[in-house]
Amino acid sequence: MTLQILINGILKGGLYGLMALGMSLIWGVMNIINIAHGAFIMIGAYITFLLFNFTGIDPFVSLIFSSSIMFLIGYTIQRGIINLVIRAEIFITLILAFGIEIFINNAALMIFSADVRKVKVSYGASNFNMFGVTIPYVRLIAFLLAIAITIILFFFMTRTKSGRAIRATSQDLDGAVLSGVRVSRIYAITFGIGTALAGAAGTLWAIIFPLSPTMGGSLTLKSFVVTIIGGLGTMLGPVIGGLTLGIVESFGTNWFGTTFESLISFSILVIILIFRPKGILGKGKE
Amino acid sequence: MAFLEIENLNSGYGDVNVLSDISLSIEKGEIIALVGSNGAGKSTLLKTISGLLTPTSGKIIFNGKDITGISPDKIIRDKIIHIPEGRKLFSDMSIEENLLMGAYSRKDKSIMKDLDNTYLLFPILEERRKQKAGSLSGGEQQMLALGKGLMGDPDLLLIDEMSLGLAPVIVDDLISIIKDLNASGKTIFIVEQDVRLALENSNFAYILDTGSITLKGKSEELIKNPDIKKAYLGM
Ligand SMILES: Nc1ncnc2c1ncn2[C@@H]1O[C@H](COP(=O)(O)OP(=O)(O)OP(=O)(O)O)[C@@H](O)[C@H]1O
Ligand SMILES: [Mg+2]
Repeated sequence: MTLQILINGILKGGLYGLMALGMSLIWGVMNIINIAHGAFIMIGAYITFLLFNFTGIDPFVSLIFSSSIMFLIGYTIQRGIINLVIRAEIFITLILAFGIEIFINNAALMIFSADVRKVKVSYGASNFNMFGVTIPYVRLIAFLLAIAITIILFFFMTRTKSGRAIRATSQDLDGAVLSGVRVSRIYAITFGIGTALAGAAGTLWAIIFPLSPTMGGSLTLKSFVVTIIGGLGTMLGPVIGGLTLGIVESFGTNWFGTTFESLISFSILVIILIFRPKGILGKGKE
Repeated sequence: MAFLEIENLNSGYGDVNVLSDISLSIEKGEIIALVGSNGAGKSTLLKTISGLLTPTSGKIIFNGKDITGISPDKIIRDKIIHIPEGRKLFSDMSIEENLLMGAYSRKDKSIMKDLDNTYLLFPILEERRKQKAGSLSGGEQQMLALGKGLMGDPDLLLIDEMSLGLAPVIVDDLISIIKDLNASGKTIFIVEQDVRLALENSNFAYILDTGSITLKGKSEELIKNPDIKKAYLGM
């Protein structure tokens, strides 16, 4: 039983990590706390839902569509709106992101109504047993994909010229400009990647959990908690933070009931902040 | 017309004007020095040449082309490279990654050849190529900053406060490298608080005082000038 709870937590934690990866990237590189992150996850989830319902595209395959569409949306938002205020106080970008979130949520409510939807794939309930632990296939695949996407991002950031420019820009803005980096373009790419990751997380979320236009708020909160727990400025941070939250939540809800889910995530946040103010792996600025 | 020609330049930060009516020219193949005390506006001038700051009026002409107010990435592609005060390296990235960032705006085929050349010039950087830039000593970081600048394949190199905080032996090493680079055809504009060092190692110099050029001349003559001796050389 304990092993089952642990495995459940790890599987969900991988998804949490992917959810937070985009938020952590945007935060670390651009110093923007993207409150609209959960709303972007929600859009990704609905893209998958719509593609599945109207064209029958397998939700796992729709990962390609949700992430590329979200990349374009994120790139455009950054180019068109956020770059205008990029040197402004963090407060201004916060309000702007808040405005974007309200806009997206209301648009989604108008288009989809408040109804809760589900992506009903035929293999949704299949599972297998190992060492007395039941593992649903969809959760395992979602977990593996989340980890794979994280690894791909790692290689992009460390092995490509654009990835190097993103890291350089986050470490020393003037130094990057004096190397010939066009910062507004790098910021647009970074924001695009961040929202693409949100879109991918939304797709995996939609395969496992029900969706509604207002789901974004709590997902922003979870991504925020995971980002803080893992620590800014490293790519492993969100993975560790996600697994930590997943496991703690899994045991916590098992002992105290699901009504305490948010309380549990906040408790772990507070505990981590007391003992490791910069997160488990964090080394970034305060 | 000179290689770099600056005419009646005014520049500063927001509403604060720092440089008033600066005019200077740099001939190809020379080492030119800009000296002056703390807060005179030396770094402000370099930042304006490299496009970090936009001048409020005046002209900057490089190689016959008006580059006033164009963006830093274009100025870099015109082959002006600015090595800033405080070096502005990427401290969490490896030495090699820093050097490659120096070649960021280049598209030609000889980047890897230039990386080898940079390593020949600074063997210590090759030894530590996988190490993080932040782990280097001050002198090594300045070598890296110089190497990173060279990776941009500059025609004109602007170097701000290269000697600041470094031991004299290391400064000597760096100066002799600068002279070699100059001998191989690069034009170099050095900015220094260390007036003696700058005058001893340049062909021509400008003295900047609270945003204005107060004196200019051949370095060998300026170093004998009684006013300069008194004001800057402590004699
Ligand atoms: N980012 C900034 N914003 C506003 N004012 C600035 C800024 N940077 C410098 N200044 C001001 O501009 C003036 C010139 O500064 P600058 O850095 O160009 O001097 P400097 O000659 O390079 O001095 P130092 O020898 O200390 O490097 C100073 O009065 C300084 O306070
Ligand atoms: Mg200065």
